[in-house]
Amino acid sequence: MPKANALEIKNLHKSFKSGFLGKKIKVLKGISLDVKKGEIFGYLGPNGAGKTTTLKCILGLLFPDKGTINIFGYGHLSTQSKQKTGFLPENPYFYDYLTASEFLNFYSKLFHKQKTQNPDALLNLVGLKDNSTTQLRKFSKGMLQRIALAQALLNDPELVLLDEPLGGLDPIGRKEIRDIILDLKQKGKTVFLSSHILQDIEMICDRVAILVNGSLVNQGRLDELVSQEILFTEITVSKIDRRELEKFGKTLTHYGNKSLMQIYDQDKVDEILQFIKEKKGEVHSLIPRTQTLEDIFVGMVKQK
Amino acid sequence: MQKKVLALLLIISCGMFMGLKVITDKIPRKIIPGASIIYIPSGKYLKFASFGHSSLLADLIYIWAIQYFSNYSVPERFQYLSHVFSIISELDPEYLDPYQVGALIAIYDARDFDTAIDILELGLKKNPEQWIFPWQAGHYAQILLKDFELAKKYYQTAMEIEGSPPIIKRLYSNAIYELGDYHTAWKNWLEIYNNSDDERVKKIASNHLYRTKAAMDIQKITGALKEYQNKFNRLPEKLADLVASRFLDSVPQDLDGQDYVYDSDTGEIETAVIPWKR
Amino acid sequence: MKIRAVALNTFKEAIRDRILYLLLFFAAVSFILSRLLSLLTVGDKTKIIIDAGLSSLSIFGVLMAILMGTGLVYKEIDKKTVYTLLSKPISRNQFILGKFLGLIITLFIMLLVMTAIFFIIILLHSGTISWKLFVSLGFVFLELCLITSVALLFSCFSTPILSSIFSLSFYLIGHLSWGLETLIKKMSPGITKILTQVAYTLLPDLENFNFKTEVVHNLPIQPEMFLFSFFYGITYTFFILMLAMLVFRKRDFI
Repeated sequence: MPKANALEIKNLHKSFKSGFLGKKIKVLKGISLDVKKGEIFGYLGPNGAGKTTTLKCILGLLFPDKGTINIFGYGHLSTQSKQKTGFLPENPYFYDYLTASEFLNFYSKLFHKQKTQNPDALLNLVGLKDNSTTQLRKFSKGMLQRIALAQALLNDPELVLLDEPLGGLDPIGRKEIRDIILDLKQKGKTVFLSSHILQDIEMICDRVAILVNGSLVNQGRLDELVSQEILFTEITVSKIDRRELEKFGKTLTHYGNKSLMQIYDQDKVDEILQFIKEKKGEVHSLIPRTQTLEDIFVGMVKQK
Repeated sequence: MQKKVLALLLIISCGMFMGLKVITDKIPRKIIPGASIIYIPSGKYLKFASFGHSSLLADLIYIWAIQYFSNYSVPERFQYLSHVFSIISELDPEYLDPYQVGALIAIYDARDFDTAIDILELGLKKNPEQWIFPWQAGHYAQILLKDFELAKKYYQTAMEIEGSPPIIKRLYSNAIYELGDYHTAWKNWLEIYNNSDDERVKKIASNHLYRTKAAMDIQKITGALKEYQNKFNRLPEKLADLVASRFLDSVPQDLDGQDYVYDSDTGEIETAVIPWKR
Repeated sequence: MKIRAVALNTFKEAIRDRILYLLLFFAAVSFILSRLLSLLTVGDKTKIIIDAGLSSLSIFGVLMAILMGTGLVYKEIDKKTVYTLLSKPISRNQFILGKFLGLIITLFIMLLVMTAIFFIIILLHSGTISWKLFVSLGFVFLELCLITSVALLFSCFSTPILSSIFSLSFYLIGHLSWGLETLIKKMSPGITKILTQVAYTLLPDLENFNFKTEVVHNLPIQPEMFLFSFFYGITYTFFILMLAMLVFRKRDFI
């Protein structure tokens, strides 16, 4: 029997009634995707595409119009699914007056008959060791983000669902959380990461799916999606008159006596280097740019 | 605005409104707080408005009523006496104090016997086991109106209620005497005398029996005297003469076996002793 | 147990609500006020103290139940604390029950405090405390449980203000339904009468829990009344809770 995928969504549809007259707005128009066990899956899309709606459907906070969702082969609303899942919502908010440990202790009681992680160990993991007795009302946004991650990991879940996990964190915080996510993968966990910050996805995800306006426009391995071809080359050059450079390619900016050029034709690169050498100009940088996720993303969105 | 100016304005305005309050308090007004209770058509509506707290509302209206009816600045306040107390009754029929106090106010302040009776009747209707209401009604009828017929009726009602004190029966019997029905009065007093173990009560009953017999005897003798006078155009010398002329079978004696005192000039007959001083 | 965890958390949250203490203060004030009013009455001076006390306990208790109950579920949905909670292996029904239990525990404690103050005032006034008073207070608590369940029901789908209005209406209708009984007696038989009778049986009759008059006048109460009223309260509350669970079951948390 083939091992069940960590998460399997088949033909998910969801619409909402807007306003009093009940005009139906379709938010999810038939999503299907698979998340394999042990991978970090990126769920991309512009704001309003339906990423959070998809997550809420997976968690049983919204009820789909059509389609099925399975977690490790179990129906998504079953107790088994809930026991294997951890969720970090966007802009988390918790009971103000509880302290960090009180809060984690309360939530761990909801896993009756299931073993839960030590709250102090979790606080340590997310970098909140010193705040275990601080009331949540005094937490900054970044701290709330961290405690949210801690509560998502209480039951040592096999599948971790994260909605904008790096929001509101400073660069150090972002690195720390990224490291935690990578660490989870090392331990064999599966991570489903929803974000609109492409750099984060690029850095850690194995596979991605792009959601635009309620439909998946693309999905697959990151290295398959993003071709390794060189798109264009960026050259920064100085001591050469701008007008003379223009015949080779497009010049982007000038600052001081330096010019930044984008050369699409690779053959022309050698030509221009030769030209600069002849004119006794200076090359400050030479960067071949391959396709980034951003390029694909913008292209997909523009198409829609 | 500067802090000092603000503080000054604050003090001035405070002083002004306090002064104005004192002045307006002195202006006489006819409106009594809460008097709108008068305009409620029926206690039934108020009961709806109380949402299960009718007992408390009854208490509050009762307290208000006591204040209202003792306020001399409203001379026509007694118009609504019966109405207000009927509202209280509707809200809490088993609240006994208002019936008594209402009747009291009606009698002593409003000098309105009929309203007092109405209130007491209402109390009895709602609380048939309360003998105090008909007793009070009888009491007022007897003491204020000297209406023994009415008093007798109420004493009888009170008497028939289980648990009523024995004194009511005595008042009843006394009322019967006062109405001139000496035979029934005699019967009742005899019953009281025979059924009581209390020495004091026996003494009272015996005095009443003495009085009743005396009344019956005197009635009889007076009748005989009249007949004698009609025949002989004069009063007899002594009572024995009546026996001789066969207007009486014998000269009655009082309960103690003493003779009655006869005044041959006026024809008046009296008892030798005052009944209560026996 | 999961329900117990949610109940405890709800209790911790509810007991911090300052509105409770404001209402507690007003209740205490009304007890003292009744003591002063007893000086103005002629006759039985304890009656007004007991009347005012029982009425205050009932009214302030209901206000507490409504003000807290209507915000209970709404706040969780509004502040989105419900997201992480319901993503754990806890059913929506368990969540509702936990919330309900947490709230009635809070109300019980509040009622206990108010009753203590009430009893002190009675005893200072050298009144006696009859067992009927205890029973009456027990039924006040039962009424509060029912009102709480109603407030909770409305909190599942409506804003606090609307929920408060609906819950208050429930309370008022519950104390007026005896009027409907009088109306039915005057109606001529027919389909309207039958429909009205059905409506009458369906509507809450909170007067079943009102033993104030019997306590104050020390009137006898048939034991069956206690028993049946008690079960009426329990089953009606159960019914409302089931309704709340039904409403909450398929609710989308947008």
